[in-house]
Amino acid sequence: MEIIDRLSAGDPEKKKYYIRLFLDTLEPELVNLRSADTGSDQEPIRAILHKLKSQVQTIGAADAHAMMSAHEQTIKSGGGISQAELDATCDRLSTLIQNLQDLLK
Amino acid sequence: MSKHLKIALVDDDIPNTEILRDFLIRNGYSHVDKYHDGETFLNSLDRFDERAVVLDFDLSGGGEINGLEVLEALKERSPQTHVIFFSGQDSLEVAVESLKNGADDYIVKSNAAFALVKTSLDKVYDLQILRSNERRNQRISWSLALGWLVTLVGVAIFVAN
Repeated sequence: MEIIDRLSAGDPEKKKYYIRLFLDTLEPELVNLRSADTGSDQEPIRAILHKLKSQVQTIGAADAHAMMSAHEQTIKSGGGISQAELDATCDRLSTLIQNLQDLLK
Repeated sequence: MSKHLKIALVDDDIPNTEILRDFLIRNGYSHVDKYHDGETFLNSLDRFDERAVVLDFDLSGGGEINGLEVLEALKERSPQTHVIFFSGQDSLEVAVESLKNGADDYIVKSNAAFALVKTSLDKVYDLQILRSNERRNQRISWSLALGWLVTLVGVAIFVAN
């Protein structure tokens, strides 16, 4: 969260505002990712991963960013990701969301 | 010091656009508009007087057209506008295509990206100041030349009489 701290310039209300903005995107996209089907066209999964990777990077979750970037690249180059890989990504995102929610308490 | 450069941010990533806007305002850019899809931005072009646009490539979360299509339409209608491509696509192909179509810079989204966008906008701002000074100097030169001409004509008339 160091990046958000820096960007909010020490203003706690601003920081909460930014966190809520991220949650507004991350929470519905987690639901979309959980219900995505790896057995069919994975383009919708790629589009979600592309959207989320910049956001998790800004939040400072480098590992989640690397994971999403790698999966996006795999799908873009014509391959596919497994259900286990998608589940692991969702679990990481879920933890991240929980951490953000905790910061709002 | 407030920097008078009108900027448009065109990106479907709402949180990052909001944060980038705040960051630029904190760094002196007082006029920063934001658009979350290419269509809305292009529809605003009639009243558009921004001098710099920070444009995302993948706008699929907001509308139907991508950043390259927005760039093409923008350059047709406002060729002098500076465009900074700001994309999550670390793709040489997209970068080359955007620069070929008139983008001035290409920045891949990363932890340092906001600072890079600011640096790129600072260059646009400096260029704007330079051009404004050039225009002012040109006006002064013309005024001086005209002054000399009037004086010479006056002297010529005086001598002739």
